[in-house]
Amino acid sequence: MPESVITWLSAWLGEDIGASLAYITNGKHLAWYASVRFTLIAAFGSAAFAVLFGLIGAALKQSTFLPFKWLGNIYTTMVRGVPDILFILFFPLAFEQSVEYLLARSRCDADVIAAATGWPPCEAAQWILSTGDYLLMACVSLGIVYGAFSANVIHGAMQAVPKGQLEAAAAYGFTPKQVFWRFKVRQMWVYALPGLSNVWILLLKATSFLSLLQIADIVQWAGRLGGANYIPRVGLVHPDWRWKYYLVLFVFFIILTMISERFFEALQARASRGMSLAEVGDDV
Amino acid sequence: MFESFLQTAFVHDIVTLAKPALFNLYFAFVSIPLGFPMAILFALGKGSSNKLVSLLSRAYIYAFRGSPLFIQFFMFYSIMLALNKTLWKPIGVDDFVLHPLFLGPLVLILNTCAYTAEIFHGALKSIPKGEVEAAQAMGMSRWNVFRSVTWPNMLRLAWPAYTNEVVFLFHATAIVYFTLPVINEQKDLMNKAGELFEKDYNIFLHFGVAGLYFLMISIVLFWLAGLVQKRLNKHITAAPSVSLKQKLLSVTHAFIR
Repeated sequence: MPESVITWLSAWLGEDIGASLAYITNGKHLAWYASVRFTLIAAFGSAAFAVLFGLIGAALKQSTFLPFKWLGNIYTTMVRGVPDILFILFFPLAFEQSVEYLLARSRCDADVIAAATGWPPCEAAQWILSTGDYLLMACVSLGIVYGAFSANVIHGAMQAVPKGQLEAAAAYGFTPKQVFWRFKVRQMWVYALPGLSNVWILLLKATSFLSLLQIADIVQWAGRLGGANYIPRVGLVHPDWRWKYYLVLFVFFIILTMISERFFEALQARASRGMSLAEVGDDV
Repeated sequence: MFESFLQTAFVHDIVTLAKPALFNLYFAFVSIPLGFPMAILFALGKGSSNKLVSLLSRAYIYAFRGSPLFIQFFMFYSIMLALNKTLWKPIGVDDFVLHPLFLGPLVLILNTCAYTAEIFHGALKSIPKGEVEAAQAMGMSRWNVFRSVTWPNMLRLAWPAYTNEVVFLFHATAIVYFTLPVINEQKDLMNKAGELFEKDYNIFLHFGVAGLYFLMISIVLFWLAGLVQKRLNKHITAAPSVSLKQKLLSVTHAFIR
């Protein structure tokens, strides 16, 4: 079906455009377009983790038990002192190594471990990961980093919930736990939305790091497809076209940002129906 | 005991990563002073009454804030490479233009300029109108109004967010050598930490020390910015009341890159 469409389009548009159409729909290019799924899965997956870790972080920050409070504060400040890329690379590698360390302890001989210079100490301890595993690790890793950002946002939003409402709820006999979950958490979303929208856009941009985490994502494909080709057997002979491919990615991410902004604006308008939040909604 | 501490792998890493840290500092401290005046121009441009100037400034700021810096690096490097044969080589500047120590700051400047312009634009919008009108009523020229009212107000209002931007720009220098070629021993913290990791696979130590460098320098930057902040707000005696909107803005504007 797609091929007949292409032949029809090329007959209609002329040879030159037909050739370019055939080029940008060849197998490698289709694989490139398909690799967008990794970006989207990583974005949605890590957003889910980020909200979860954000809620936990915000709850820790508000805890009256001091060690929990410190833990929450350390978690939310760590991203202000150390680059996100360091954490994003660190967590998957550290997790993989820890698992391999445990595997080595059960599967390798002690003297082999002592003599080993490389990693893992013996072959049996090698933990082989699939793309899906790497993707999950990337989601958790991005989720931890951007969870710290969303913890800050959620904490701020919880502070913004009118105290009177919480007091009223307590006066009606709700337990502290109920007040937290049924009033504070439920009311804070509308205040948190502008900040969370920001975190989402940050996260979306951070998905460009997937290629550093062993995933053949859009960035890696762009580099492969754009590289100069001088062998006619392999495909179209062309010089270094990487700049064209990266330009496409540049525009692609801008479009994703635009769509996200529109979506969050609509969500914000919907969420603040019936609330006098004019001063929160605009231009944030 | 002290002697043995000096021989630990931890101290060895601190010494090894001292020089790479200078590369991160170089990228940040070349980009920040050059991005700053450019950002003021774009902030004024975005608020300009000239439709074309405003549109172009808006588009520039949106494009650079809406796409990953990682892609921007790849894009500019490949564009520079594509221009090499027709432009840089004939002029004879190819070695210089394609050098990461030139290209890195160039992309960082373009990037930080957009983020900073957005911060300054926000500050320009919240400058008290009365002060500007009073200055105009006194018969001040446009330049004088800018110099004595707009500029100091803008700087004071934008400073907290700008502080964040400076620190995040410093953090962004960590990805320079993931995208640009490494020449000889010119390596930054992430690159050198990665190299050390590939030798003995001790990620906790090497990434930990690299992170420590970033953390320490970030703390110094925050501290220095705090001193400037105090100076900028010297004339304000009472703590300014912070509205809910401002609180939320500070929360959201804290995360920019």
